[in-house]
Amino acid sequence: MALKMLIEVAKTDELIPGGLKAVEVNGEEIVLCNNEGKIYAIGRRCGHMNAPLDLGALEGYILTCPMHHAQFDITTGEALSGPVPPSLENEVIPAGLGKYLQYISMLMSHIKTCDIKTYPVKIEKNLIKLEM
Amino acid sequence: MNAESRKKALRFLFQKVIDPLGYKFSPDEDLADFLLDQEVVLEQKHGIPYCPCQGLTKNREENMKIVCPCIPFHRKHFDAMKRCWCGLFVHKDVTNPDELKQIPITEINGA
Repeated sequence: MALKMLIEVAKTDELIPGGLKAVEVNGEEIVLCNNEGKIYAIGRRCGHMNAPLDLGALEGYILTCPMHHAQFDITTGEALSGPVPPSLENEVIPAGLGKYLQYISMLMSHIKTCDIKTYPVKIEKNLIKLEM
Repeated sequence: MNAESRKKALRFLFQKVIDPLGYKFSPDEDLADFLLDQEVVLEQKHGIPYCPCQGLTKNREENMKIVCPCIPFHRKHFDAMKRCWCGLFVHKDVTNPDELKQIPITEINGA
């Protein structure tokens, strides 16, 4: 069994409630999330198309991706909803972009929204540590 | 994606919108649960949790007015009924939602 250790990644005062902060530990990209004072850690890349979730929005325990608005539960990493809209079928497409966007839409329709990895968080004094 | 998790998320997100408007989820839990089930189905299909009791049109602007919770777009109408059109939300002082009826907008003065 691989040995896990606590790694200091940030100070608690770097994250206000509702705040997000990206950190990188051992090559893994992680977002720290402050939900009303409790800190959670979740993979930084969206489970849909890898957009950086630290640029998204945190509402309670729900983190919304800035790219296509897929939503995730920061406590479990579970994908709560997929991209919006799920396809461009009913959208008004600007002239000249029709075929290109149709192709992109076809590609996107094959992409699943996956759950994201979460990391155990430990607070020691004013330090945020991740168990990795 | 898990429908129960999504329903819980919609409840959480909707609560923040309806509370300042003076509304709450219907105390009829079975009804609320059923309506949220339908919204999850609509969201999976269209990407947006539309009201399950109002028909979609081909007019995007009109469809945006029935995205749940659609209370802000129909305030006078819903306030007169003390409930939203499908009954998912009722005024905070309502204890028996069965007493509230759907009233067509044409029968409500000033709405």
